[in-house]
Amino acid sequence: MTDRVPLESEVEAKLAEIGEVDLLVGIPSFNNARSIGHVVRAVSAGFVKYFPEARAVIVNSDGGSKDSTPDVVAAASFEQPGTILVRHPLTPVHKIVTPYHGIPGKGSAFRTIFTIAERLRAKACAVVDSDLRSITPEWIELLLGPVLHEGFDYVAPLYLRHKYDGTITNSIVYPVTRALYGKEVRQPIGGDFGFSGRLASFYLTRQVWDTNVARFGIDIWMTTTAVAEGFKVCQSFLGAKIHDAKDPGADLTAMMVQVVSSVFDLMITYESRWKEVRESDAVPLYGFPHGVGLEPVSVNTERMLRIFRVGVQELGDIWAQALAPEDKGQIETIALLEGERFRFPDDVWARVIYDFAVAYRRRALPVEQLLSSLVPLYLGRTASFVLRTAESDAEEVESIVTELADEFVKQKDYLLQRWS
Amino acid sequence: MWDIVSELLGKMLSGFGEKLAAFGPNLLAMLLILTAGIIVAGAAHLLARFVLARLGFDRLARQWGVNSVLQFGRREPSRVVAAVIAWLVLGVFLLLAVSALDLAVAVELVSKAFAYLPNVLVAVLILVIGSLVSAFLRRSVLIAAVNAGLPSARSLAAAVHVALMVVFVAMALEHLGVGRQVILISFAILFGGLVLALALAFGLAGRDLARDYLERVVRGRKEGAGDEHRHL
Repeated sequence: MTDRVPLESEVEAKLAEIGEVDLLVGIPSFNNARSIGHVVRAVSAGFVKYFPEARAVIVNSDGGSKDSTPDVVAAASFEQPGTILVRHPLTPVHKIVTPYHGIPGKGSAFRTIFTIAERLRAKACAVVDSDLRSITPEWIELLLGPVLHEGFDYVAPLYLRHKYDGTITNSIVYPVTRALYGKEVRQPIGGDFGFSGRLASFYLTRQVWDTNVARFGIDIWMTTTAVAEGFKVCQSFLGAKIHDAKDPGADLTAMMVQVVSSVFDLMITYESRWKEVRESDAVPLYGFPHGVGLEPVSVNTERMLRIFRVGVQELGDIWAQALAPEDKGQIETIALLEGERFRFPDDVWARVIYDFAVAYRRRALPVEQLLSSLVPLYLGRTASFVLRTAESDAEEVESIVTELADEFVKQKDYLLQRWS
Repeated sequence: MWDIVSELLGKMLSGFGEKLAAFGPNLLAMLLILTAGIIVAGAAHLLARFVLARLGFDRLARQWGVNSVLQFGRREPSRVVAAVIAWLVLGVFLLLAVSALDLAVAVELVSKAFAYLPNVLVAVLILVIGSLVSAFLRRSVLIAAVNAGLPSARSLAAAVHVALMVVFVAMALEHLGVGRQVILISFAILFGGLVLALALAFGLAGRDLARDYLERVVRGRKEGAGDEHRHL
């Protein structure tokens, strides 16, 4: 038996009452009273519409919300007056609302969800963000269906997002995951996933809950672990992903450190696996891709470029601990490009990320400082992407992201040479 | 006449000879201790370099950002630390050698030096820790300031470094008992003056900046205004 998180006595009582379930959907939350009601209603409707015969439970794992989020979850029901149900559930949809323990963060919330899934012997599970505005009952079928009906262990989401959204995904996580592990999982840190009960139990056996996996690193850790450990992986097309208004407290540096350190830690853990991978394969797609309208997003490239240039001016000594001298020289040249001519080439960016991975592995600098110093470079690269794609449609943007991922594959020999 | 001079010289020489005979063993002991000191200091230097190399000290110094503090010229930090250890060992042997002369002044000097030595070692330790902490925080502040888009990131980081070093130097001197009151008062004046100057600079010269900052704090307007995209 491995380490399991302790559960509240009320939760233990509820688990004893429920016994076993077929389906479980977890919703991590922290001060999401405004949006979580909609998510709970969509999940409940999804259970009723697509799995009316299944025993199902919704688990809200809360980080100590001060805005009555748990109350909203407890009160939320899709059976509002006026709602006409074509199907009725044979068993009621249970709800468990619990605080989680451990380091505050999404990963710790997931750990509690995995523990409950294991205790209830859930066959198919999913996790969805609590600030989603675009979630529909269909998402539940798309995330749980491949596990329940097709025998997949892990379902990654495939969204339509605005071309400027998910820039850490597009410029770092997707290309690295594809180049290293050989699976074309387009949204490895999408936030909404389906997984088997078997995989939930496997996650609980790993000793990662005191690392950045307990925070924003959880998404990439789940995806990479599933891929690298040989679990059956697919993608489900969920349509648009629209969140509630952006969290003003979300700090880019903290996100960067947590996500990228998890990516690099996984590179160290699965070194023997990724060194053998030479090409990438598409993963099966579940669902029916279609076009959707997306909300416009404004991006301040001027500010990004200002931070990039200040970084080039001031952080040269720090970058020298990670970057190869030629690349550092190229970055200094890039910083001189003005206005629309500003471009951060794909090959330089791929080598920058690989250089930082190597520096992370040999602990060239304290982890926090090393990865925080990547932020100006990332903003430079993002500004370049925004300027290049200003007039591009979704298809063109996707081909630009694929070109970058291909470049990461091409530069893998460079990584192997520097890594050893 | 010549007999008297000869007798006096004879007495002086025999007296000198007796004193030399009495003092000779002490002198010899001093020379032996000094020789042993040089050998032990050399061995300590070699041992320190070996141990520091095995510990990856130069890499750790780079990690902590103290390589610039510990580097003299092009010498690696481990060589500098090894040299400091060797000189300290040699210094201890030098004191022992002086005490071997068994002169009243020398004995007193050595006993005072040994009594003071723990204070010196603690002061050195305070300075070493201070250098480590201030260098580490300097780099953290520099990165955070750059990421926040502050134009004077380097000055801010340097100010933090200097302020911290002033605190640690004051602590070290306080420990050595050097001008306790003077240091305390100087430090209070310097620090108070600095805070006052910053307050005036921010309030008068940077009124617009202060207003902008307060607006951001009170109204929650973020520095990244105009950025609505999600990074993850």
